[in-house]
Amino acid sequence: MSSGPKLFRFPIPLPPLPSSAHVRSAGVYLAGGLFSLGFWFFLDSAIYSKKYNGSDVHVKFVDWIPGICSLLGIIVINSVDKARLSSDASFSFGGDNVAWKARLVLFMGFALLAGGFAGSIVVLILKYIVPQYPWPTVYFGISNMIANGLLMLSCVVLWISQNVEDEYSYSLSL
Amino acid sequence: MPTANPLSKIIVLATVLAAGFLLIILSCALFDNWLPLLVVGLFLIAPLPNAICEKYAANDDFMQESSGNAVIDFGRYITGILVVSGLALPCALAHSRVIGLPALFMSITGGLLVYGTIITFTMFFNETEEF
Repeated sequence: MSSGPKLFRFPIPLPPLPSSAHVRSAGVYLAGGLFSLGFWFFLDSAIYSKKYNGSDVHVKFVDWIPGICSLLGIIVINSVDKARLSSDASFSFGGDNVAWKARLVLFMGFALLAGGFAGSIVVLILKYIVPQYPWPTVYFGISNMIANGLLMLSCVVLWISQNVEDEYSYSLSL
Repeated sequence: MPTANPLSKIIVLATVLAAGFLLIILSCALFDNWLPLLVVGLFLIAPLPNAICEKYAANDDFMQESSGNAVIDFGRYITGILVVSGLALPCALAHSRVIGLPALFMSITGGLLVYGTIITFTMFFNETEEF
């Protein structure tokens, strides 16, 4: 840390990460758990709507669309090889500008992910808040938003924990 | 603890496994609702992705550098998904009043016991293999 270029103006003491391999595997497990938690939040609202619903409003296909967008975004983001992002100048095989393509595909992935989250907020507002439904019905929309937020968080955690091991020495600069 | 008899370890693990199965089957049979049995399935297949992906990454010499790590990470990701699913499934069922609260607690405890037994058993095996 002391030899590399400094990030902050003042030397801020950061606690050292215990061991990057363990942090990495724990981060990957945590990302899977967050994904599952988000998925189950949404599935819980769907089961609740089917089994124990007092109102006429149900979880329909409209509610599934943001989740599907987020899922596609996660798949796209994680299928891009992260090493291709910055290795354009040093060696370029398999095409002229792989990094440019990788950035484009990655941008589409992030757009899908953010679009899923935004879409869940849109569904929450337009379908549940504007008609002024009472609490157990609004839960369908809120759980949808929580689910997409957790999917996003899972993607972030996975990205960070995959970068932890790649940069052994200056992993704290993340 | 390190010098414990392997036979007694196995007996303890088997007892814990049986207790876990007992809890889950009771949580189904007492209320005549066999949906919590899915928890056993989820926790039983939870160690599989790790095992498969580690074997795959160890066997393939061409995938040493970057893709082998990706395969192992994928296995861990799926494992995390399955374990949290095993915990979240009874919660979702209880929230929709499909199963009651006692069934929820019994199935979660039983599932964790089964999963813990499997994990301890595989760690135990890996220890003896390396000697």
